[in-house]
Amino acid sequence: MKNAKFVGERKFAGVDAEIGNRLIAMKPRVAALRSVRVALMQLAYALAERPASAGFLVLPDVSVTPERLRDEWRLASSVLRSDVLNRLSICTGEAEHLVGIPQDPDAETQRAISDLIAAAGPRASLSLARPEYPFTVMELLVHQWLLGKGPMTTKWLMETAGCSYPTVATVLRRFEHCLVRHSDRRVQLRAFPKEEWARLVAVSEKARGTVRFADRSGQPRSPDSLLLRLQHQDRKDIAVGGVVGARHYHPRLDIIGSPRLDISLHCPGKTADMSFIEKLDPALARTEKRDEPASVIVHLVRRADPLFQTGEAGLAWADPVECLFDLHEARLEPQAREFLNSFPTMKDQM
Amino acid sequence: MRLVSPATVLKQIAAAVPEDCRENIIIIGSLAAGYHFFGDNASLMVRTKDADCLLSPRIEAISAGVAVTERLFQRNWQFRPDAKWSTPGNESTPDDQLPAVRLNPPGVPEWFIELLTVPESPSDMNKRWVRLATSAGHFGLCSFGFLSLTNYQPISTPFGIAIARPELMALANLLEHPEIRPETMSGLIATREIKRSNKDLGRVLAIARLSVSRSEDALLDWPAIWQEAMQVRFPDNWRSFMGRTGAGLRQLLNRPNDLDEARHTCEHGLLASAPPTSEQLRLVGLRLLQDAIEPLERSGR
Repeated sequence: MKNAKFVGERKFAGVDAEIGNRLIAMKPRVAALRSVRVALMQLAYALAERPASAGFLVLPDVSVTPERLRDEWRLASSVLRSDVLNRLSICTGEAEHLVGIPQDPDAETQRAISDLIAAAGPRASLSLARPEYPFTVMELLVHQWLLGKGPMTTKWLMETAGCSYPTVATVLRRFEHCLVRHSDRRVQLRAFPKEEWARLVAVSEKARGTVRFADRSGQPRSPDSLLLRLQHQDRKDIAVGGVVGARHYHPRLDIIGSPRLDISLHCPGKTADMSFIEKLDPALARTEKRDEPASVIVHLVRRADPLFQTGEAGLAWADPVECLFDLHEARLEPQAREFLNSFPTMKDQM
Repeated sequence: MRLVSPATVLKQIAAAVPEDCRENIIIIGSLAAGYHFFGDNASLMVRTKDADCLLSPRIEAISAGVAVTERLFQRNWQFRPDAKWSTPGNESTPDDQLPAVRLNPPGVPEWFIELLTVPESPSDMNKRWVRLATSAGHFGLCSFGFLSLTNYQPISTPFGIAIARPELMALANLLEHPEIRPETMSGLIATREIKRSNKDLGRVLAIARLSVSRSEDALLDWPAIWQEAMQVRFPDNWRSFMGRTGAGLRQLLNRPNDLDEARHTCEHGLLASAPPTSEQLRLVGLRLLQDAIEPLERSGR
């Protein structure tokens, strides 16, 4: 199969790549049906001029529901000539598993489109779902407890998490059994909440919106090399976590090196600005494959105050609880335990 | 093109030329890059047909060129005829039509030595020929473009001759090709006709990839030595050259067919032992732009 690549100079409007007899149009993050309709028609025009080609409209990260896409396909079917329609399809889903309308692409096409999506590089901006506030509030309670900060007000929790009083109150009621309520209405954890913590760890990847990036050059950069480049980005919304961050807080952590760089990205709004990834290394591409070694892992910190610790040389540090989650996510359980036990407040807790 | 051992070829050249001319010789091109990156590994070979020898400084180039040519003929190196030249030129041959000194070692048809020199002045970017009158006939010593960058701080070898710095050969190629031009190589590269620009810019990418294999942050060091070499070699117009360093490479990375030609030359050249895909080569180019070319361009503004 020929290598997948974007066409330098477009022969057809709306066609991004031509691979063998496949014309591919790529429209990332489409949110309106109108965009789908226009793209479909442009691809149909190109197919009318290329009777031997098949056309694929690829919609990575599409916000339009599958039902509405199928409705749009039915409408297009009613007006397009059958000799064009039979060679046309829409592809959605993840790069590794594309779903087609009216049929899935064959394996060779699937590979070609996956390569194209990878070649397009990490997307600069991600649309985010609503933050998981119960997770956030519990994380804050653990943070304050581990660092021996003492009790906190509901107002502090609201402002730091970035949520309303009722949301915080609901979460506190849910975790009532773990809390001590003081006479001045401040709260704090009674002890380290082992069971709740285990639940948080289990859901942390989803709750924190972890995004993984793998090397596509065959020459992956080391975390040290990536850190060097991160220093020059001067982004206040980025902090270093993972093994590097944990070693910042606990230099004696028993681990040598790290195969990946964990980065915490502060994104309290509805989008995450991922433009730093390309500057970090243009060879990084987002991956959904859990078994693929990732060079960079980005964890989204959704609360209002990221609690980053200012560091030296343009780097900030993710808070210790984020680092702890990172170690668990990396399956570095002995190191996670060691790091957790390094906090003075953990004495006699486990 | 044949597979040759860079160290063996360098040793053979050094042994064949007059001892007092060795310091005038700098090997450039794929052989120099091959020696730099895997000269210490006898099992790794370079696919090349020529060993480009740059004679410098310019003021000694003619005398060194004559001495080297005479000595090689004495040692039975053979004139390499081509479609245009079956024998060396003579005193009536115009300078710009003289054959280059291209000589095969005795009994070794696989590769040949070719003599070149640096331009006479920083402002002389055109291809020029200067006559080498030897007892075996008349030859032309060619100089052009940015060759003067390749004799900046060359790297010495144990054989007494030097090799050009790979990053400066890369810079010379980048500056030589501010756009992809249509001229093709005179011969086929592994059955394919290849544009010269794609071959030379492909060499840039190969050098970048090999440099990163050796030290992952190597490209970050390139802008400093690039700027230094340009300021020394082109004191009047280094700044304008800096601004166009990445133009041809950017064009290459945006043209899949040209990039594929570059990949093909790498696969049949310096990267033969681990050929990259076109996409991997494109990523090498993006890293090179980010780590070396863009910082250089910024400092030139």
